[in-house]
Amino acid sequence: MAEMEIKFDVNGKQVRVSAEPNKTLLSVLRENLGLTGTKDGCSSGDCGACVVMLDDRPVNSCMVLAPQAEGSSVVTIEGLASNGELHPVQRAFGETWAFQCGFCTPGILVSCYALLESNDDPTREEILTAVAGNFCRCTGYQGVVKAVEQAAAEIRAANKSGGGS
Amino acid sequence: MSIPEYTAPATLDDALGIKKELGAEARVIAGGTDLILRMRDKVFSPSVLIDLRRLSLDGIVLSDNEMRLGAFASLSQILESAEIERLFPALPAGCREFAGPPIRNRATLGGNIVNASPAADLVPPLIAYDTSIVLTSSDGDRVLSLVEFFVGPGQSVIKPDEILTEIRLPVMPPWSAATFIKLGQRRSMAISQVNLTTRLSIDESGAVSDARIVLGAVAPVPMRAVAAEEFLLGKELSEELLNGAAQKARAEVTPISDVRASHSYRLEMTEVLVRRALLATWDELGRNATDG
Repeated sequence: MAEMEIKFDVNGKQVRVSAEPNKTLLSVLRENLGLTGTKDGCSSGDCGACVVMLDDRPVNSCMVLAPQAEGSSVVTIEGLASNGELHPVQRAFGETWAFQCGFCTPGILVSCYALLESNDDPTREEILTAVAGNFCRCTGYQGVVKAVEQAAAEIRAANKSGGGS
Repeated sequence: MSIPEYTAPATLDDALGIKKELGAEARVIAGGTDLILRMRDKVFSPSVLIDLRRLSLDGIVLSDNEMRLGAFASLSQILESAEIERLFPALPAGCREFAGPPIRNRATLGGNIVNASPAADLVPPLIAYDTSIVLTSSDGDRVLSLVEFFVGPGQSVIKPDEILTEIRLPVMPPWSAATFIKLGQRRSMAISQVNLTTRLSIDESGAVSDARIVLGAVAPVPMRAVAAEEFLLGKELSEELLNGAAQKARAEVTPISDVRASHSYRLEMTEVLVRRALLATWDELGRNATDG
């Protein structure tokens, strides 16, 4: 297939790439843009290692063709931190040891970030539903639940004291 | 006319023109969660992909007696509709057990239909609600009952120049209820071993005026257990009656053995799950009656 030009935003910056239309968003992020934080696990939408935000919703980037992202806004694991500060859920993962090998972590973090964007007081059930499309085969999900609960509490406290959004 | 290999037309007419010229060589990509895999595995090798994202064919509109869903509505959009939850709760019940959130954000209702998988989770609820679909070509619209769409695994009556554009659910009569059940090896990310939806409507005397028992993954196409449905018609609901219907449904299905479940397990589960779904539907009707 001939390459085509595709424009979209990644982590707040507009990018322009030239790629074959059957290339996935995942390949473009990793190979054209060097954003290797997003992982390629199963390449078939089962494991969730490749989850990124696409227009404010978590999606499997291995199941999106690059031209489908034309004009969209993408946030990858590299975009969760701001001004050198980790997002509360990233910090909580470290503090509660919510991962061991870490391969699934970028995808799980993006799924948890998506949950916290819309819900700063999720139940255990809601947290487990949010990561239902993410496989972790070494640590399990108890640490994830603990980390998200801790991050949610921190976000609620910050919103209350800072009068933030 | 020169057609690029990947095109996002500005109008439906443009898309239909490409389909008319190229037929099955041109494939519509919706969420892509199935198509991308099949292209990678060379099951499909279309020469052109038509991306309809610019056409906003994902609206959810309720009129007097009908709910119209754009074929490109994602499962997440369906889950966010309070009107679908109120009028057609078995459909979002199917969406909730479909894969996981990242897939639900991309996968579309139309894609789940057009794939023509015998195990499609959203087809039993749609058939139970007497859904019809609109197939559009440059010659105009063709409306048909969803249950008539499927021919075999991966096969349907869609013509090479047609695009599924709309899904229409008629509003159910009063005193109706429906139940969706999915049996899979896990609660998420699993392809169904058996899935089903039962829908009962009762008249003012409490007798069954209409019944649907629709099963997936137990025949080459999603199917209605017609003998079991007829067995219920005109009768008062009782446990004995519903047991009888479940036994009849078991005799109607023709499951295969595959990597997910054996023939005999699917037979057994058909009876168990039809009974369980009918009992739950009856419970729901009872609650509806006392709620007024």
